[in-house]
Amino acid sequence: MTNISNLSLLTMILFVMIPVSLSYLFSLGIGKSAIWSSIRGVVQLFLIGYVLTFLFSMPDWQGVGLWVAVMLVIASLQAAKRGKGIPYAFLLSLSSLILIEVFVLSLWILFNIIPFQSEQVIPMSGMIIGNSMVATGLAFERMKNEFHDSKGKILAALSLGANASQASQMIIRKTIRAAMIPNVDSLKTIGLVQLPGMMTGLILGGASPIEAIRYQIVISISIFSSVSICAMIISLVTYRFFFNRKMQLLE
Amino acid sequence: MKKLIEVDHVSNERVSNVHFSLMEGSLTTIIGPSGAGKSSLLLLLNRLEDPDKGEIHFKGKKISDFPISELRRNIGMVFQQAHLFDGTVEENLKFGPSLRKKWEQNDGVKLLEKVQLSEEFLTKEVENLSGGEQQRVAFARTLANNPEVLLLDEVTSALDMRTVELMEELLHKLVKEEGKTILMITHDLKQAKRLGSYTLFMNEGKVEEQGETASLFQHPKTAALKHFFEG
Ligand SMILES: Nc1ncnc2c1ncn2[C@@H]1O[C@H](COP(=O)(O)OP(=O)(O)OP(=O)(O)O)[C@@H](O)[C@H]1O
Ligand SMILES: [Mg+2]
Repeated sequence: MTNISNLSLLTMILFVMIPVSLSYLFSLGIGKSAIWSSIRGVVQLFLIGYVLTFLFSMPDWQGVGLWVAVMLVIASLQAAKRGKGIPYAFLLSLSSLILIEVFVLSLWILFNIIPFQSEQVIPMSGMIIGNSMVATGLAFERMKNEFHDSKGKILAALSLGANASQASQMIIRKTIRAAMIPNVDSLKTIGLVQLPGMMTGLILGGASPIEAIRYQIVISISIFSSVSICAMIISLVTYRFFFNRKMQLLE
Repeated sequence: MKKLIEVDHVSNERVSNVHFSLMEGSLTTIIGPSGAGKSSLLLLLNRLEDPDKGEIHFKGKKISDFPISELRRNIGMVFQQAHLFDGTVEENLKFGPSLRKKWEQNDGVKLLEKVQLSEEFLTKEVENLSGGEQQRVAFARTLANNPEVLLLDEVTSALDMRTVELMEELLHKLVKEEGKTILMITHDLKQAKRLGSYTLFMNEGKVEEQGETASLFQHPKTAALKHFFEG
């Protein structure tokens, strides 16, 4: 793999100048934040580069344990932001993300899909946790919106003798479906419309396309199942928070 | 006739000190201006909400002493908006009964017949129905549970005159032949006169006046009711 030299990297300033000058030309008012976010992105990535180098130098179980824990906490905090108003949103996100990470990682190791090495486990786990984080946040939002928008239907279901779980079925189904649809769609067009980031990276790094797609298959399918499990856990646990013990809708 | 439901000085944020009884096998109407608390009162009888003060009795027992799902089935409710579930008419009709595995093949047709809809409606998606059709499917969906008491919130508001007549016939039949007890909100004063034997007038959360329908309409006592009749 060819290395990008520091000097070459500096030429990226030219690329940043294009949106910045456009901003001044059309008074878009985002020149400052364009510069700022570019600098921030660069610094952040350099730091992560050093952190990863450090992690990869540690024994695998320590590096993996440390960084996976950090990712889990950051992802849970982020997902819980979307679950404002739902009790235990953070703990719920954290436990479902832990569950998914442990589940997926065990299968990968158990079936010899990847070796237990920081270089493999950390980036792959990052993709699982990242996608699950988004799915968790969306599931929270979806549940809140659906319970708000479908209030009348839920009341109707309760009035017909349904318990909280039966009355929530329609919403739970919608939430799980909504989490799965984008994955179904992207699996359908995978490789045709866009080469997934991971595959692109592997190919740039010198792997053969056939090697690269093997990883992509593993990661895409693992993400698909993680995301579905996430939405299922979140919706099945949170629906009860919208009712009291007398099967009455709260709020 | 005996008292089937007794509402005993009930209050919450939206109704205050409401007191009345429903006789078994009678049709009682509720009239009153918009925002008077009519719909809010029905929610209490179906236990979708509970009162802060006061008690409601059904067959001499506190409604809170019944298993809640059983009570809700027995005191069925039809909402002001249809609130149909996504899916077909049949899926809506069978919702209540199938929770207890009590749905039979041709129940759907019989229910639709009651509300003057033909068999073809069974397989229609509810989103394609007119407002009046939706209202009748919602009514039939509640009838599917065969409740003893029916709480009806303006169930004929979206119907043409001919269909209103047919629905009123159904209400008569439900009371006279099947012995149902009906509590019905209506904005249509003529309908209240035609249908009810007893009428409650609600205003600002209170039942301001109640009595035999005929005498309530002929001799309103409170200024609020007189004012309401003058429109
Ligand atoms: N979910 C709610 N939260 C807060 N206030 C509500 C809610 N629903 C109704 N209200 C208020 O409670 C009061 C009584 O409303 P209700 O719907 O019972 O009136 P109504 O007599 O049925 O009126 P209408 O004839 O317009 O249907 C109104 O002032 C209404 O704005
Ligand atoms: Mg109302």
